[in-house]
Amino acid sequence: MTSDTGFLLALRFAFREMRAGLRGFYIFLGCIALGVAAIGGVNSVARSITTGISAEGQAILGGDLSFSLVQREASEEQLSFLSEQGTITELITMRAMSRLPDGSDQTLVELKAVDELYPNYGEFTDARGNAISLSDNEAVAEPVLFERFGIEPGSEIEIGKATFTLKAAIGSEPDRVGENIGFGPRLLISRQGMAKTGLIQPGSLVRYHYKIKLDDPSDANVAVVSEAAEAQFPDAGWRIRSRDRAAPALTRSVDRFSQFLTLVGLTSLVVGGVGVANATRAFLETKRSVIATLKSVGASGRFVFQMYLAQILLMTGIGIFLGLCLAVAMPYAARGALGSILPVSDGSLIFIPSLMLGAFYGLLTALIFAIWPLAVSQEVKPTELFRASSFSLSRKFPKLIYVLTLISLVFALVGTAIYFSENRFVSIVFISAIACSFVLLRVVAILIQWIAKRSPRSKSTSLRMAVANIHRPGSLAPSVILSLGLGLALLVALATIDGNLRYQISNNIPEDAPDFFFVDIQNNEIDQFKASLKAQDAGGKIIAVPMLRGRVISLKGIPSAEYPVDGNGEWVLQGDRGITYAKNMPENSTLSEGEWWPDNYSGPPLVSVSAEEAGELDLSVGDKVVVNVLGRNIEAEIASLREVQWETLGINFVFVFSPNTFAGAPHAFLATLTASDAVANNFDGSLLKQLAKEFPTVAAVRIRDALDTVNTLIGQLSTAIRAAALVALFSSVLVLAGALAAGNRERVQDAVILKTLGADRSSLMKTLVYEYSILGFATAIFAIFAGTLAAWFVIAVIMDFAFVVLPGVSLTTILVALSFTILLGLAGTWRILGLKAAPYLREL
Amino acid sequence: MKQDLTHAIFIRDLHLSLGDQASRVHVLKGVDLEIPPATSTGIVGPSGSGKSTLLMVIAGLERADSGRVEINGTDITSMSEDALAAFRGQNVGIVFQSFHLIPNMTAQENVAVPLELSGQKDAMDVAANELKAVGLSERLNHYPAQLSGGEQQRVALARALAPSPSVLIADEPTGNLDGETGRQIADLLFERQRDKGTTLVLVTHDPKLAERCDRMVPVRSGIIEA
Repeated sequence: MTSDTGFLLALRFAFREMRAGLRGFYIFLGCIALGVAAIGGVNSVARSITTGISAEGQAILGGDLSFSLVQREASEEQLSFLSEQGTITELITMRAMSRLPDGSDQTLVELKAVDELYPNYGEFTDARGNAISLSDNEAVAEPVLFERFGIEPGSEIEIGKATFTLKAAIGSEPDRVGENIGFGPRLLISRQGMAKTGLIQPGSLVRYHYKIKLDDPSDANVAVVSEAAEAQFPDAGWRIRSRDRAAPALTRSVDRFSQFLTLVGLTSLVVGGVGVANATRAFLETKRSVIATLKSVGASGRFVFQMYLAQILLMTGIGIFLGLCLAVAMPYAARGALGSILPVSDGSLIFIPSLMLGAFYGLLTALIFAIWPLAVSQEVKPTELFRASSFSLSRKFPKLIYVLTLISLVFALVGTAIYFSENRFVSIVFISAIACSFVLLRVVAILIQWIAKRSPRSKSTSLRMAVANIHRPGSLAPSVILSLGLGLALLVALATIDGNLRYQISNNIPEDAPDFFFVDIQNNEIDQFKASLKAQDAGGKIIAVPMLRGRVISLKGIPSAEYPVDGNGEWVLQGDRGITYAKNMPENSTLSEGEWWPDNYSGPPLVSVSAEEAGELDLSVGDKVVVNVLGRNIEAEIASLREVQWETLGINFVFVFSPNTFAGAPHAFLATLTASDAVANNFDGSLLKQLAKEFPTVAAVRIRDALDTVNTLIGQLSTAIRAAALVALFSSVLVLAGALAAGNRERVQDAVILKTLGADRSSLMKTLVYEYSILGFATAIFAIFAGTLAAWFVIAVIMDFAFVVLPGVSLTTILVALSFTILLGLAGTWRILGLKAAPYLREL
Repeated sequence: MKQDLTHAIFIRDLHLSLGDQASRVHVLKGVDLEIPPATSTGIVGPSGSGKSTLLMVIAGLERADSGRVEINGTDITSMSEDALAAFRGQNVGIVFQSFHLIPNMTAQENVAVPLELSGQKDAMDVAANELKAVGLSERLNHYPAQLSGGEQQRVALARALAPSPSVLIADEPTGNLDGETGRQIADLLFERQRDKGTTLVLVTHDPKLAERCDRMVPVRSGIIEA
């Protein structure tokens, strides 16, 4: 009979072995639990939001179906069709300026006019929970507007040509999430109030929304009505959204964000994998005599492997369980923290697929990092029971079958990560970066040891011993550098990317970039407007262009919805775009293909397309583009492609049409002012106040303010991303602590012998401080190099921005690395070094 | 070569070197040895003579460079590691100087290990009986840390004999025990060996223990002295 009696016996033996408890596995459990919690939790939170969006689709959308038109209302025929389907609530949205009646302050607001039936679903309440109804001279606004103006409810404000009483702060606006992010606070008035403002003029940038509560709200009828609307009004140019896609932009953002955070969580798990490997190796080192004993009484190598694999799997199961407990709690915490901002689902927040994904990644990672020491452990020979062996679990190469298994597991992990990601290119780059980092970290460790071995002998004994510690067998260098390096590199990369983005926004505005944008300047006001600007800033540069909104209906004869496009060009086909017409080529553009139309061109409509977007959409000179503007489908042939310098912030459009295309079409103007130095350097708001007084229907955006808003948004996003990256750093610290604690055991033995030879505690500590400082510094250098390189790739190659090195990030990284290695390395050492040598000498 | 069926252990022209490259040492230099069944043999010699290495070869723990080793007629020199482990589990019991019990298993479980590994269904019952035979029926559920040195060696002896092996190997079985305890263990060792009819081969520095064997085999510098 053979000595192999299957996995069940191995499992039984594993359970017996686990009677010693979890000692030695705390780092193992922590690493697995953290990674599983990060991945499972992030995915669960994302699902809770997207589920909330789906579940509250009607409230978020404001109906079962929503029809939106730009710059024109629905025709009578269209309205009649919509009325037959159910109850309609009609809304108007646009940007406008709100002002204090005394003219002392004004600000851009996102204006929304609602009718008496609003909302179809959900509740429209103030901050106290009272239902809101608005007369024609009442308004409600987000609390931030009250703070901005320094006023209380009951105060008056002016919008356009009308005055409103700001009666309360908005508590609940049920369809707010379904609308795009704006640059100003939200301000709601009634439709009658909107009519009094005088803001709606031909060509004004206004959107009309018709939100329908269907008489038959079934899914089937939603589809039927949607299709009937498209069939009956093919040229309507309206944007139709159904309740199951109530907030597509938000859903996309949440999905993308969670994908990215999953990758960061995976990094945390991979970093934790180093801890798994270290813990497994250390554990199996303590089991060598047990393994040898088992083999001496008949256990085969395969049985030993199975037995300890079973133990590792049990430990992994405990770690996964702990991680899943945390992951389950995260969406509930998110509901508490974000429930007022985002539609977190009201129902159960336990999403099995999300949790299973985290568990699966945790299992794979544990197996990948444990399999090598496990496979090597079965090579322990029973002769060790007779004589001391120089065999070390860290040196032997396992059998081929285990190497192949390891490779398969790695492929499974990488393949799963890529398969489940939305942007596979980003995932592949991310995972490749992690793999390269691992290799590089190993190289760095070898390099440091090589340098240490060849460095000249120092006169300082402590430093000499520290350097010797780095290159001798059993050195901590590989453990420390591998443990801390990856997590730190990730943080450096994210901090550098964040810093570069903010730098781009705050510091990289070209000198001649406009200072102000003005929208909704009517055709009959434009000359007067320009004159008023000139009067206030004679040296300023004014540019004004016609501004219309249109939706791309088809490209090359293929409808937008069916047009094959990768992620980068998708945005052009989603929603409506700003378009213009021009006699001459806009500033900050250069023709790259085709020809500009002649001065008095009167042939079929032509269009010039931005070369970058044309490339993403696979468009060439001669292709046909159909856009819907003001309810008319207009087909134009691409006459040229332009290289546009978007970064100058000058006025430019993806689509610029020949002037004859929109002859006679009502439209407004968009203007920019590049202020003279005198005005720009002494900006006190008087220019805007004067304009607001003269042209109350014109909305003004100060570039600095807009960039501040973007900066704040990026800051909030990067805070969330860095919080996730901190999980990876925390894993690094855990792993580092484990590696240093294991190393400290050897350190104690060395210290005992040195003490008997005359070394005192402070000189021993100095040696350790030198050693850990060198290792921490080396790790920091790697992290700065690798993290900066990764950030450069993202900023310069993917985003095509100029890259700046941020010394502050480098300095912080060095300080963090030194702090962790020295503090963790010395933790507990001071006390041990003070103990008497005799008890240890007896054991050695 | 014809299989030898009259000896429990048959070794012919055994050579074995240990270590790598510059540190390689020729430990066993053409050893010939025949041990009849159900006898006790003490292998004696100074430190570094190769006696422990010889013991390891007999136990199938060390593989010879050349020569022939047969245990009960089975040639073990060309067996794979796993086959050797399986053979050992059923045919060779080993008692170590340092006991080498598995710390997280009870005395009964320690004794049952070789039986469980060979798939024996009544492993625990057999283990209990073996422990009773060495006077430890009251210690079945004790862990090694809860046993004295002598008790641990008794458990080790019970474990070695539980599969009723044809060969029992003992490496300095009393080396870590005090005088009185060592004597008790030695008495038990020979008593159980006789009861089981096992062939005992032991290595010892203790001349009194060696003299209790049916035969002594002196080893010096890797060869058996006449």
